Amino acid sequence: MIRLESVSKVFKGDVTALRDASAEIQRGEFVFLVGPSGSGKSTFIRLLNREEVADSGRIMVAGKDLGSLSSWRVPYLRRNIGCIFQDYKLLSKKTVFENVAFGLEVIGRPRQVIRRQVPAILELVGLSRKADRTPDELSGGEQQRVSIARAFVNRPLILLADEPTGNLDPATSVGIMRLLDRINRSGTTVVMATHDRGVVDTMRRRVIELDRGVIVRDESRGVYD
Amino acid sequence: MIYRLWYFIRETVVSLWRNLSLTLAAILTVGISLSLVGTSILVREGADRATAQFQEGVEFIVFMNADHTPDQDVAIRQVLDTSPAIAQYTYIDKMAAYEEFQVLFVDKPELIESVTPDVMPPSYRIVPADPDAANVAELARQFSSQPGVREVATATDAIRQIEDFSTRVSQVLLVAAVVLVVVSAMLILNTVFTAIGARREEIEVMKLVGATNWFVRIPFMLEGTIHGLIGAALAIPCLFVVENQVLSFFQESDVVPLFRGFAVPDGFVWDTSLWLLLLGGTVGMLGSAVAVTRYLDV
Repeated sequence: MIRLESVSKVFKGDVTALRDASAEIQRGEFVFLVGPSGSGKSTFIRLLNREEVADSGRIMVAGKDLGSLSSWRVPYLRRNIGCIFQDYKLLSKKTVFENVAFGLEVIGRPRQVIRRQVPAILELVGLSRKADRTPDELSGGEQQRVSIARAFVNRPLILLADEPTGNLDPATSVGIMRLLDRINRSGTTVVMATHDRGVVDTMRRRVIELDRGVIVRDESRGVYD
Repeated sequence: MIYRLWYFIRETVVSLWRNLSLTLAAILTVGISLSLVGTSILVREGADRATAQFQEGVEFIVFMNADHTPDQDVAIRQVLDTSPAIAQYTYIDKMAAYEEFQVLFVDKPELIESVTPDVMPPSYRIVPADPDAANVAELARQFSSQPGVREVATATDAIRQIEDFSTRVSQVLLVAAVVLVVVSAMLILNTVFTAIGARREEIEVMKLVGATNWFVRIPFMLEGTIHGLIGAALAIPCLFVVENQVLSFFQESDVVPLFRGFAVPDGFVWDTSLWLLLLGGTVGMLGSAVAVTRYLDV
């Protein structure tokens, strides 16, 4: 599903974000990316949905070689990849329902589909009764659920999560991880960058550890360190 | 498809409304600049018509002395009737000249009282076979040396005056218009840029979930195009005001009787309006296209 072959990425000012990184992630896997701040976790994630382009090496995602993917095809790649973030990236003027519907609307899904799928996904994340609220009326955990609903409503092959529990307390994080686990069990590949030791140690899934842009550890059923 | 269209329209209207003050500034600037473009076109066209129709092709007028002899008249007519260079002529006698004088100076009764038909010079209004300026000048020179001729006035002077006047006016207007069109394109660019800024978060999400570049861009380009079209729509009534007030002022003016032919038909004003709409829409679309390609690059 995802393959990196000797991928390097250097930012301006000689900041090496990723150096000669290779990894293969199978369909349906759940992978944690761990490591200190600035170790290249976010760059790893951003390379996968082509927000960044690698300087060298090859990245294959969902059967596409991202290096030779023309820019007009990038949106179609992204329709196969859901993304969630530490800061949720919800639109504050839209309701929960509208936020999730927006994700379908802007890729041209017909209204009947939106009317059918949005309530179903809100049911899945447990927010059916808050569909008419705006994000600022929700708790952090609930906002993250909305963002997961938006990322998953289109049933992507891959879900990328950049510190999704970074702003949440441990109890709330457990709820979010249950949800991600459930999504993973439905067949979606999940790649999650995190600092959250508790989450990693509890889940016991594959762990890829980065240090200054280099993959220093890759073990299945690993722990944080 | 209809749903998508509805989405674009809705997003565009919301954005126009959110950005109201800049939107109005952009629309008004487009309106003013296109009014000037249109006025320039109308003045030019009016002048073309005025000079083309100038006194039904009369290129020069031979004024006789008021006290010329019948023999001199016969001699002139002989030349006029036989010369192949003369296509046609009309004789304006003392009475007709006096009547015209009364019309021309209707607002100056003391001037009219000071003259009698007797002192008015009769004249020949002459249509030459070849209206070329050099030819007319040559003919005028020949006639001015005929006995009994007081003076020869060539219409080419008048035509040149009108052309000078209209060329200058329309050029000044056009330069101002071009500057303003550029200003309005930049204003539209800025308005669209502001609209993009106001929706940064939405755009980020759109790109994240895989909206195509065109899907992101179209509402903004529509917004710019609408600025241009509304501005052009505002300029159209201005054209009719120019036609009714300014051009007709020249037509009715007794002070500058030379400009009496200065008129354009309604159809021409409508044609110009269509061009203005096209120009406005294009300026708006280009302005917003620059904004979206510079600030929305994916």
